[in-house]
Amino acid sequence: MNSRRRVAITGIGMVTPLGHDAPTTWAGLLAGRSGLGRIQGFDAQGFPVRIAGEVKDFRPETTIGDRRLLKYASRPTGFALVAAEEALRDAGLRPDALTGHQWGLSVGAGMLGVAFADLETVHRHCAADGEFHADGFLDSRFPVDPVAFCRSQTNAGLGLLAQHFGIRGYATAVHTACASGGQALGTALKVMRRGHANFMLAGGFDSMINPVGLSGFCLLGALSTDNDTPHQASRPFDKTRNGFVLGEGAGFLVLEEWASAQARGARIYAELAGDGNSLSSYRITDSHPSGDGPIQAMQQAMQDAGLGVEDVDYVNAHGTSTQMNDRSECAALRAVFGSHIERVAVSSTKSCMGHLIAAAGAVEAGVCALAIRDGVAPVNANLAEPDPECGVNLIRGQSRPMQIRAAISNSLGFGGSNSCLVLRHPDETAAPAGRGRPPFAKATA
Amino acid sequence: MTSTPRIMFTGVGAVCGAGLGVDVIWSAILEGRSAVAPIRQWDSSRWPARMAAEVAEASIQTLVEDRRLHKFISRTDMFGLYAAQGAIQQSGVLAYREKLEAPAVTRFNDRSGIFVGSGGGVYKNNYDFLPLITAGGGDLKGFGQELTSTVNPMWLLRHLPNNVLCYIGIRHGFKGTNACITNQCVSGVMAVAEAAAALRSGEADRAVAAGHDAPIEPETVLHYHKLGLLADDAVRPFDRDRRGTVFGEGAAAFVLETEEAARSRKVGILGEFLGSGCSTEGTGVVGVRPDGDGLSRAIELAIADAQVSREEVGLIVAHGNGTWASDASEANAIRKVFGDRPPPVTAFKWAYGHSIAASGAIDLAMALRALREGVVPGIPTLNSLDSALAPLPVSQKPQSLRGSVAVVACRGFGGMNAALVVRAGPVSLAQ
Repeated sequence: MNSRRRVAITGIGMVTPLGHDAPTTWAGLLAGRSGLGRIQGFDAQGFPVRIAGEVKDFRPETTIGDRRLLKYASRPTGFALVAAEEALRDAGLRPDALTGHQWGLSVGAGMLGVAFADLETVHRHCAADGEFHADGFLDSRFPVDPVAFCRSQTNAGLGLLAQHFGIRGYATAVHTACASGGQALGTALKVMRRGHANFMLAGGFDSMINPVGLSGFCLLGALSTDNDTPHQASRPFDKTRNGFVLGEGAGFLVLEEWASAQARGARIYAELAGDGNSLSSYRITDSHPSGDGPIQAMQQAMQDAGLGVEDVDYVNAHGTSTQMNDRSECAALRAVFGSHIERVAVSSTKSCMGHLIAAAGAVEAGVCALAIRDGVAPVNANLAEPDPECGVNLIRGQSRPMQIRAAISNSLGFGGSNSCLVLRHPDETAAPAGRGRPPFAKATA
Repeated sequence: MTSTPRIMFTGVGAVCGAGLGVDVIWSAILEGRSAVAPIRQWDSSRWPARMAAEVAEASIQTLVEDRRLHKFISRTDMFGLYAAQGAIQQSGVLAYREKLEAPAVTRFNDRSGIFVGSGGGVYKNNYDFLPLITAGGGDLKGFGQELTSTVNPMWLLRHLPNNVLCYIGIRHGFKGTNACITNQCVSGVMAVAEAAAALRSGEADRAVAAGHDAPIEPETVLHYHKLGLLADDAVRPFDRDRRGTVFGEGAAAFVLETEEAARSRKVGILGEFLGSGCSTEGTGVVGVRPDGDGLSRAIELAIADAQVSREEVGLIVAHGNGTWASDASEANAIRKVFGDRPPPVTAFKWAYGHSIAASGAIDLAMALRALREGVVPGIPTLNSLDSALAPLPVSQKPQSLRGSVAVVACRGFGGMNAALVVRAGPVSLAQ
């Protein structure tokens, strides 16, 4: 194989429970501030869980001027449009009529497309007695709304992003639950390496903070029920953790071929250097207690980046704050890093933002890029009593200034998909070659 | 330095309204039998657009052997798992794995990928909450209070778009690179493209690729009908009297292997993956560019990726969904790429409807079969080609292949376009 294309991260955009842009989110994470609180978006009083990380006072029209387009955008698609706009502006680069064909789009999109109000409309006309009658739709009073139909389509967000930003090349949407955002970035990396795009807008967006989404997780007993202490409810790796807290938002990155980013004098946050992607094939909601599955993803990602465990300084863990995930992920980290486990700093920023589901991996990859740029690893908030079974070097108390040569971002999904991304400091990438390893074991065989 | 490996198809499985299994579906096509009929999943007698190609209700329960699993998955997952099982069985990879020593089995599993294109279900998943809205007495407080006594605790898991990916993995222990693509109509085709890309780049030695969907639900039919996208009788691709599409449902799945992996176990080759292309039109959610720009670029990219010439293309399996705008722009795209003498063109949705995320995958399964059998099936519902689309070599009668390479075209909402280029099997492998 020829020397592969290297991929630079040159733009970052975020909409999160901590803020409507990346700088605000990043400042919140560094300060260990919580974006979680009582659910305001709907009346959650009757639910077993009444807390979440909502994006507050979100008004996409202040960023996106096209009001007609916004009519077709669901709440999470609105997050995506705003975060993508920030990422492109940050990169100082956007598709135009000449370059649109060279731009690709890869997104992790959420699984719920239908607004609850639309379900209530169906209920009124087709199921007032609780039983569904299809003929209710034929009633002339049923308000057929083509715009709501468009909003609910599974790839509506993808289509609107392509339209609004003038992207004309490769486009894909992936959904592997909580691994979606990471897999979308991994896909983008591969698409660029194989030459199917020179630039990618890649990220994830989701919102499940609505009656149906919240119900789904309540029924599984996956959420923290600490309704009176929302700021402390998400405490990954703490001994007393009792479930995750739903968040919502979007994260987008602009990816460019390294040499062309350098040639135009772009500010390069980091190299998106490696992707690892595995399937646990164990249970639908859990990884194996041994870490089998995530282990392979991390090993592949480092091998793909041409790095060894000695080169990695920071891990942004999936760290959901459920008993099973955090224990299994730490088992995987210990298995992968061996004697280096005491040196590698680990934190889960879900402690502040909650779990952004399909957006999580994309936002957290952006967090890794900012951590590399600023030389500081964000704190794992709410860590009063680290679980002795976890046994990794957690960032407690406050964010930790440190040189980060390479960081990894884990995203482990329901359904068993595991995504691991490796981001590398730009100075490390630019350093003279000679330490690189072959991209895949296969290539040396 | 290793060159890019060639990618072979070694197993194919499929299910749709036209039947269970590739052989049955292919026979229906050759015999001109369409599965399009009045919808039976609900009482559609009063519905203005009531045609679809449904999988027979009686056979759905037989699709997945493990009955315990039925409670945890939905209709579309049954299709996907059935097709995948067929492809895996035909490929013989499991029998091969059984003969390996333990460390080789671990490596085999870690280097077996799974790529699934999933429709995800839009509306009916949420209908499980309709009784709760009633039970809650019209406010959300009551809704929340009655939740756990009214809705199945497994609701979320049952509707995960990535269930097929997950359960293929659990059933067979495959643990390699994977993706679940939720890009509406092009999902299945892009799953095949991504699987092939993973094999080319050395991430895996073999992969299962599948597309599955079950889009026939009242609310979807209602909206497509209101948008003027549905025919009330049949799909008539490229016909001057075409009136729209009809829904289908089902799945197709493939086992793809690197040439080296296939050769090492001396397996039958059903065809070769040559290339893929993907592009967007940027026309919003439901718009289509009349000039076919997005699709023509996807086909050109796929042909370039395949490193074949236009002249080598002997068959085009068109998306041909029978809607006025899409067929017209597709004809433009084909002429833009192939000029005035395109190779023979056919489309299959007249037989098994438009199964959205599964559609391109089922079309690919039929394209591989057509290449093998050396025939381009006719389109029985095509009475008279729309003169605005000429010249376009479509026919009610079977046509002869012009070469051993096929292009499969696929497009969908969001202005998405994807194309695959494949070669006929059996392919002789280099020694």
